[in-house]
Amino acid sequence: MGGWAQFKAIVRKDLIRELRTRDMLVSMILFVILAMIIFHYAFTVEEGSDLTWFTGGMLWVTFIFAMLLGLNRSFAQEKDERCLDGLLLCPVDRVTIFLAKTAGNLVFLLIIQAVAVPVFALFFIERSFLGDLLPFLVVLLLADLGICSLGTLLATISMNTRSRDLLLPILFLPLIVPVLIAATGATTLIFAEGTGFGSLAMRMLFLLGFDAVFLVAAWGTYDFAIGE
Amino acid sequence: MKKLVSAPALFVGAGVLLVIGALLAFWYAPIDASSMGFSQKIFYYHAPIAAAAIAAFGVAFVAAIVYLRTQDLLWDRLGYVSVRIGLLFSILVMITGMIWGKAAWGVWWAWEPRLTTFLLACFLYAAYWVLRSVVDEEQRRATYAAVFAVVAFVDVPITFFATRFLPEGLHPVVVGPGGGGMEGSVALSFAVCLVGMLLLMAALIRRDVEIELIKDRVTDLKTSLGG
Repeated sequence: MGGWAQFKAIVRKDLIRELRTRDMLVSMILFVILAMIIFHYAFTVEEGSDLTWFTGGMLWVTFIFAMLLGLNRSFAQEKDERCLDGLLLCPVDRVTIFLAKTAGNLVFLLIIQAVAVPVFALFFIERSFLGDLLPFLVVLLLADLGICSLGTLLATISMNTRSRDLLLPILFLPLIVPVLIAATGATTLIFAEGTGFGSLAMRMLFLLGFDAVFLVAAWGTYDFAIGE
Repeated sequence: MKKLVSAPALFVGAGVLLVIGALLAFWYAPIDASSMGFSQKIFYYHAPIAAAAIAAFGVAFVAAIVYLRTQDLLWDRLGYVSVRIGLLFSILVMITGMIWGKAAWGVWWAWEPRLTTFLLACFLYAAYWVLRSVVDEEQRRATYAAVFAVVAFVDVPITFFATRFLPEGLHPVVVGPGGGGMEGSVALSFAVCLVGMLLLMAALIRRDVEIELIKDRVTDLKTSLGG
């Protein structure tokens, strides 16, 4: 099997496993919508408080925390059922495993966002941002890629330690701050003012750079992270 | 490692330079003409400590890469010790930064890009420590720590860059584009303090690596005695 076929096979395996039970996706979607409701109560100080300038922050904090849940789950199953040992016994390049796991996590995140973003818009955004959908989607994809690549690398490390799901947020959150800053700023500007590509170009380039740097860093270190 | 300068020699060098640096900073360099006045003197400690912290994390980064290539535990010890010293210096950066912030801006804490980046670096390298403490197997702990040290060191400048997307900062830019530059006497005093602080950092790392290696030997001896 070539690298591409192996990549597809692993992604397919992850998707089928999840779609058969759907426990992770359902919980993550519930979590994301619940988080929005919690944010509403937490940030509404008086009748009709304007939350427009919090929207980007609320959205990305929710996605990052949801991803933490998902990452823990995605590797807990591999570990508990010893699937990963089987995977490592196959003649598959470690980098292919990394890319496939990242892609799988990206797909899950996108599915959640496909549900969460319309609900979020309904709850919090008064002006229609359909016209600004394209820049929003670009920001979304770029930030997701960074979150998933870094998250997959760190989840691989944390699942092999004693404290597992407790460790992942401590490793992941400080590292993801740059993505949070850029994505939050861009998203808020889109929601609040309908800012287009022109003024968001720097942030998008930054996110692209982040993705590139951490894909390369993970590429170089994943061999070690996943172990023998 | 053994062939390099010994730790005591480094400590003496650091001590001499830091004392000279203090004398220069307080008696040779002029009182700052801007609004900061005498409180600007903390600059001769704050900035060199920050440079030493970054240098220590840099050492940890290089040690991590060499460890991943060679799997020689000596480099793991060097990386571990460097992170510890870097963390110590980072905490000092936060403290001196807060003192300076209180004097210059009137507040103990400001969400200012450099200070914020350092705070995050503190948490990153604290996470490095937690990571080490939850892996039991020696080789595996070293490998994970090295991978994380590489990722963390790459992330810190990116975080600093990202803070530019936030609203304007207050930090004085001394060197570089838009900076005021330094007068000769200020630059000399600063350079002496900087080299002294870097030597102190190197001395601490050198000494701690030796301690770690002795600890390893003790463990080996205990094992060989059947303990």
